[in-house]
Amino acid sequence: MTAVVDINRTLGPLPHDDVPSRDETGLVTELDRLRIDAACVSHSYAVHGDPRDGNAELTRVADPRLWPVPVLVPGPLGTGPWAGGAPLVRLCPRRHGWAVTGPHARELFAGLAASGTAVLLPFDEVTTGEVHRLAAAVPAPRVVLTGTGYRALRQLAELLDAHPSLYVDTSTLCGHRQVEWVAEHYGAHRVLFGTGAPVTDDAGPRHLLDTLDLPAHDTALIAGGNALELMGGGP
Amino acid sequence: MDVIDAHGHIGRWGAFAVTDGSARSLVAMMDRCGVATACVSHLLAVGPDARAGNALLVEALGAHPGRLLGWAVYQPHDPQGPERLRDLLDVPGVIGVKLHPEVHETALDDRAYTPAFEAAAEHGRLVLAHSQHGGAWSDARHFAAVSPRHPGVPLLMGHAGLFPQGLRAAMEAAARCPDLVLETCGSRMTARHLTRMVAGVGAHRVAFGSDAVFLDLRAGLGRVLLADLPEEDRERVLHGTMDELLKGVV
Repeated sequence: MTAVVDINRTLGPLPHDDVPSRDETGLVTELDRLRIDAACVSHSYAVHGDPRDGNAELTRVADPRLWPVPVLVPGPLGTGPWAGGAPLVRLCPRRHGWAVTGPHARELFAGLAASGTAVLLPFDEVTTGEVHRLAAAVPAPRVVLTGTGYRALRQLAELLDAHPSLYVDTSTLCGHRQVEWVAEHYGAHRVLFGTGAPVTDDAGPRHLLDTLDLPAHDTALIAGGNALELMGGGP
Repeated sequence: MDVIDAHGHIGRWGAFAVTDGSARSLVAMMDRCGVATACVSHLLAVGPDARAGNALLVEALGAHPGRLLGWAVYQPHDPQGPERLRDLLDVPGVIGVKLHPEVHETALDDRAYTPAFEAAAEHGRLVLAHSQHGGAWSDARHFAAVSPRHPGVPLLMGHAGLFPQGLRAAMEAAARCPDLVLETCGSRMTARHLTRMVAGVGAHRVAFGSDAVFLDLRAGLGRVLLADLPEEDRERVLHGTMDELLKGVV
């Protein structure tokens, strides 16, 4: 298998649990234990606190296996104009209280698309209707839907059918053979290994990766090939 | 290959798509990831029709002897439920009773479930019940209330509270009730929480379950295989706990 890259991980303490990844050393130890070569990480301050504080914390990350994913907020009270400083960003519109379909968001999405920046978008932060509108914009950024859950396969299928700019991570795509189903119907290039850890489980998705019922080439794409392409080969 | 999946299903469900809920698909997945035996209920029985669903379960057990064991669903709203359950518990391969208080809209400690516990006791069988922390029907407090009424009947708390914030209450219930066993499946469960569960109640009180074909068997199995556990505890969770519970049942 080629590189294993967790596209969806968080560094830093959580308000509701004690986690090994509260610091960089703990997170890297977890990656080693699970044989994960690299992880795209947002800082927990940026998700559970002010994104500007978390993004500042990310600049202090030293380990080369941790690839910074800043969290953006549009508008004059947000994280500022996007100048393309990272290949991948995370958006949490519901948590951070901004409208996906508003003019500030449209400006941000246009900037992301223009700079070739991809987006991690947690599925519980938006409605499927909002995802349809976001993905229908021209140009639209590439969006990886994360944490789609095992109950939303019908909605996910419609989104992937309609919008080639949409991708999905495996963090909670944990229904019976759902990863295979999506890869077989929409292509393995649309599926990226992700865990959502430490909020969601990392061990299960990691083991699933080792036991996928797919051609080796497809498994390699899911494991890390697609992430490397999305990240332009690395951070 | 000696892993026992204590909590599985076959069939389909209304609220979301199950891509292939056949027993054949489940057994193929078991072969793929090294699971010897899965203890399953039929989703038609969990949902709208316990009579028809339990009949389909019996067919599946006959088609996959030794690989599938059965949980017969007890429907508390069926006037013939008690006698039907007793018949089902005599069927080879049926190891016990599945209760789903959320679907039945009946609290686990409601007397409507008493015939199910009594039938399990008479037949020397187990009970598996869905649990859901904070809910009106299957919170840990309902398990702690009902289990002492039926001493000696093993009661598996399916999902161990379902949500991570319910794990502490589940462990406290297990500490108070010696017949309670915590089962590990659920999309919110993590290897970290599993490790805490084993540390808190002992591996002999924890049984691996996957919730396949709702969930992917590999995700639940991987959580146990890759959890930061002593090997002896891992083996206990993967099959030792169920080996003990199934002595004399199969």
